[in-house]
Amino acid sequence: MPKDNKGVIRRIHKLLLNKDVSCQELTKRYLEKINESNLNAYINTCEEVALESAAKVDKKISSGDEISLLEGIPMTLKDNISTSGIETTCGSKILKNYKPIYNATVWNDLKKVNSILLGKTNMDEFAMGSSCETSFIGGAKNPHDLGYVAGGSSGGVASAVAGNIAAYGLGSDTGGSVRQPSSFCGVVGLKPTYGAVSRYGLIAYASSLDQIGSIGKTVEDVSIVFDFISHYDDKDSTSHPGIKFDTQGNLKKDLKDLKIGVPNQYYEGIDKDVKENIISALKVYESMGAKIEYFDLPEIKYALPVYYILACAEASSNLARFDGVRYGYKASHYKNINEMICKTRSEGFGKEVKRRILLGNYVLSSGYYDAYYKKAQNLRGLIIKAFDEAFSRFDVLLTPTSPVTAFPENKSYNSPEEIYLADICTVPVNIAGVPAISVPCGFDSNKLPIGMQIIGKKFHESKILNAAHQFEVFTNYSYNKDLDMGVNL
Amino acid sequence: MVTKEEVLNIAKLSKLYLTSEELEDAFNEMKGIVKFVNQVNEMQNPDEEINHANELFNAFREDEIVPSFPREKILENVEGGKEGFFYLEKSQ
Repeated sequence: MPKDNKGVIRRIHKLLLNKDVSCQELTKRYLEKINESNLNAYINTCEEVALESAAKVDKKISSGDEISLLEGIPMTLKDNISTSGIETTCGSKILKNYKPIYNATVWNDLKKVNSILLGKTNMDEFAMGSSCETSFIGGAKNPHDLGYVAGGSSGGVASAVAGNIAAYGLGSDTGGSVRQPSSFCGVVGLKPTYGAVSRYGLIAYASSLDQIGSIGKTVEDVSIVFDFISHYDDKDSTSHPGIKFDTQGNLKKDLKDLKIGVPNQYYEGIDKDVKENIISALKVYESMGAKIEYFDLPEIKYALPVYYILACAEASSNLARFDGVRYGYKASHYKNINEMICKTRSEGFGKEVKRRILLGNYVLSSGYYDAYYKKAQNLRGLIIKAFDEAFSRFDVLLTPTSPVTAFPENKSYNSPEEIYLADICTVPVNIAGVPAISVPCGFDSNKLPIGMQIIGKKFHESKILNAAHQFEVFTNYSYNKDLDMGVNL
Repeated sequence: MVTKEEVLNIAKLSKLYLTSEELEDAFNEMKGIVKFVNQVNEMQNPDEEINHANELFNAFREDEIVPSFPREKILENVEGGKEGFFYLEKSQ
């Protein structure tokens, strides 16, 4: 029997409208829960800003004014999304105490409708990592088992949403940073088409791959937020002109005759529990009338090396701006400007960030540029073509989000490449610039969530959200237990 | 094949100091990572036309004058801003 999958945003909206709880009371409860929480999901909270917005919402409600769906909903932003006057650290010592002087476009939009920003959430340093553990305050914990990581890099957002200390949140996804932690924490995460959401004010990691995406408890929550934040922005020259989405209006469409492509290469070297659950999910789709077809996508074998070349090359350039001159950490003892910059960067950046800067500058240096950077760019073209070709035959592709479920904290690895393999299912999507969503589809033998990834054609977010929503309604996997906020949601 | 001298030179270009222990680690890691990314050279003649996730197009706009950030606001994130300027020590 399909259950009622009403999302968290609509439930809170109704409570506020019915005056079952005031926005200020609700906000205080969330803030209290954050303070009591041991998830390490937040880097900073912003009580004052949150309560100020909540008071505005209460005033509007009491004077009978209409409020929009996102108004008064307590939410969070990953700590690489610029918030004017509110500390934005990117999980790095080098940006400790940095307060941007302008808002990212996404926060500008959300602030206009009195969204309640509870605080800024934890992340791998400069979004470089798959466990959230490279953060300068240590990683966010997985609410399903505190001994396991929340995933990364947007681990804080996923942990906060799964742990009921934010109704929804925005993260950023360069190689899987929204989808993989969503999968690990049993929540829903959307990486939109490149160019669908403005990147203005998102502190850049790899500009040609970065995209801001929403994380929520249900597909509907993610859809509501995506519809709101996706539009053209003249402050981002890669923002796509003339786009407007109504993915919510398409969620309930049936999946009869939906053509699902299953790329064989995504199922090699996958954890047994993950594989079994994805195969069960395919059966669910078949029972809903979708048509499943396995096919080959051999080009994705180059995705990981291409990703690490391009992402690190772009990161080494983007991170050159952190020099201690204009903002952030500055070394205290030095003899000249060069020493000041070198000391600032050496003391301010963590190990993984330094590693990626070195690789980036290596592949861009003369003598290696053609062999690595240019070759990777060309292979990127090949991967884009392979996805185009796949979408000429299929409506969506279905794969695991991650080859494994959440791993234990402080797990040791033999080499960095071994860690990079965790991104194997998610990076091809960023390389191709297409949209993809991670939706919970079961649990492994340790009762840790498993996520499946639905990939769509560029700007076909409606289709993947529809397919995800129908699956969610049909199954019981979404982490949808009642919100323990002391109010009946 | 990555050499230790190359890693040291790249670190210098990256404006990063590496202790001898860090250099040793970075050298060993770089050897592995470069070997890993070298898989891109297995492919002989990759497509050379498309190289960006979005179709490239020029994003022109009208050249309008809009208010800039006030100087004092920009200097809020630095210590030692002097008379409306960033202050840097003279190089020796």
